[in-house]
Amino acid sequence: MYYYIFASPKSPAERAYFGRIRDIVREFGISGEMTQASPARSPEELAKMGLEKGNTTIIAVGSDTHVNKIVSQVVKEPPNFAFALGIVATEPNSLLYERWGFKKPDDACEMLKFRRLVKFDVGLIEPDHYFLTSARIECKKPTRINLEVDHWKATAIVNRVEISGNLYILLERFMKERSIIKSALNFLKGEVAAVADRSIFRGRIIRISSLELLPVYVGDEVVAKTPVNIYRKLNALNIITKRDKMVSRRD
Amino acid sequence: MAMKQQDVGTIVGSSVHLTGIIKDTSDIVIYGSVEGEIHSEQKIIIEESAFIKGPVNGGEVVISGTVVGTITAKNRLELNQNGTIKGNIDTAELLIHAGATFIGKSNMPDKKGTEKGIVHEGEFAAEVEEASEEKDEEKEEKEKDAS
Repeated sequence: MYYYIFASPKSPAERAYFGRIRDIVREFGISGEMTQASPARSPEELAKMGLEKGNTTIIAVGSDTHVNKIVSQVVKEPPNFAFALGIVATEPNSLLYERWGFKKPDDACEMLKFRRLVKFDVGLIEPDHYFLTSARIECKKPTRINLEVDHWKATAIVNRVEISGNLYILLERFMKERSIIKSALNFLKGEVAAVADRSIFRGRIIRISSLELLPVYVGDEVVAKTPVNIYRKLNALNIITKRDKMVSRRD
Repeated sequence: MAMKQQDVGTIVGSSVHLTGIIKDTSDIVIYGSVEGEIHSEQKIIIEESAFIKGPVNGGEVVISGTVVGTITAKNRLELNQNGTIKGNIDTAELLIHAGATFIGKSNMPDKKGTEKGIVHEGEFAAEVEEASEEKDEEKEEKEKDAS
C-alpha cells in the first residue's frame, strides 16, 4: 500500500502542481492514501502515522527539506516490518534531482511504478537528526573551523561546508570581490562569488567546531549549531530508485 | 552546489592545515599543509603551495611542492621544477626535472626486478667463485713475475 505525504503547498501554482502529481500516480496505477502536511500535522507526524497503519511504502512529495524530515522520522523510529521510501522532489534546484537522475516529477512517478529498491546510507547529526541530501554550514565571511575526521584533524578557513548523507565533506572558500560596485552588482544579480579554494574529504565520523556558533542547515531548516558530531548510518533506508541508471553512492 | 561524489578522491585545499593519516583508494591532491602520513593506491599530487611533513606512500607520486619525509612510489615518482624532497625515496621509475631539489637517498629495483645491492643466493655463489678464480690467477701471475 502506498502512503503519500505531500508538502504543504506554498502557492496556488504548487497546489495545482501537486494535483497533477496525484493524477499521474493514479494513471500509473500506484495510487494510495494521500496526506498533506500542514501546521497542524507535520511531515514527521504523518510519516509516523503512515507506518503505524502498516503501510510498506511511504512516498515523500515536496522540497528537499520536506523529504529530509520524513527520512529523519522513518530512520529514527523504524517499524518492525520492511518498508520502502519513494521520493518525488518538486523543487527545480533540488539536490535529489541530480542524485536520482530524473528531469521532472513525471519521471519520478514513473520510477515509483517500477519499484527498484536500493539501500542508502544516511547522515546522522547528533543527537537524532538524520538526513539524506546534505548538511550545510554557510558563513558570509571566511571563518576558521576545526574538523576531526576518523584519523586526522584539520583547521581550515571556509565560507561553506557541505556534508552529504554518505559523509563526503566539501569545504569551500570564496574569492573576495575587491570592487565594491562589482560585489553590489553580484549581490543584486544573485551571483555567487567564485570559489578560491576547495577541499574534498571522506569520512565515517566528523566533528566540526568553531569559535563562533555556526548554524547547521539541512534543506532550509537549522537542525544544530557547532560544535556538531556527524555520523554515517550504513544501509539505513530502502529507497525506490530509477532503473538501470541509478547508482547507489556508497564507498 | 551538489558534490559529484563519484569523481572525486581527496583534495586538501590551500587554506587547510591537516594533522594525521590520510588514506584513500582514489587520487589525492594536496595544496595545503599536511603533518602526517599520506597513503593512496593511485596517484598523489603535491602541488606547489603544499608542504608535507611525513611519509608519502602511493602508486604514482608527482611533487611540485615540498616534502620532508620518506616517499614510496610503487610505479613512478616525478619531482617537478619547483619541487623539493628532503628524505629518502623508493620507486620503480624516477623523473627529476631541472631546478628541483632532492636531499636524500634513492632506492630503485634493477631491471630484473631485484633490488640493487641484494643478490640472489645462486648468483652470489657464482660471483664468489668467479672472484676467487680471478684472484688465484692474479697471484700466479705475480709469482711468475717475481721469479
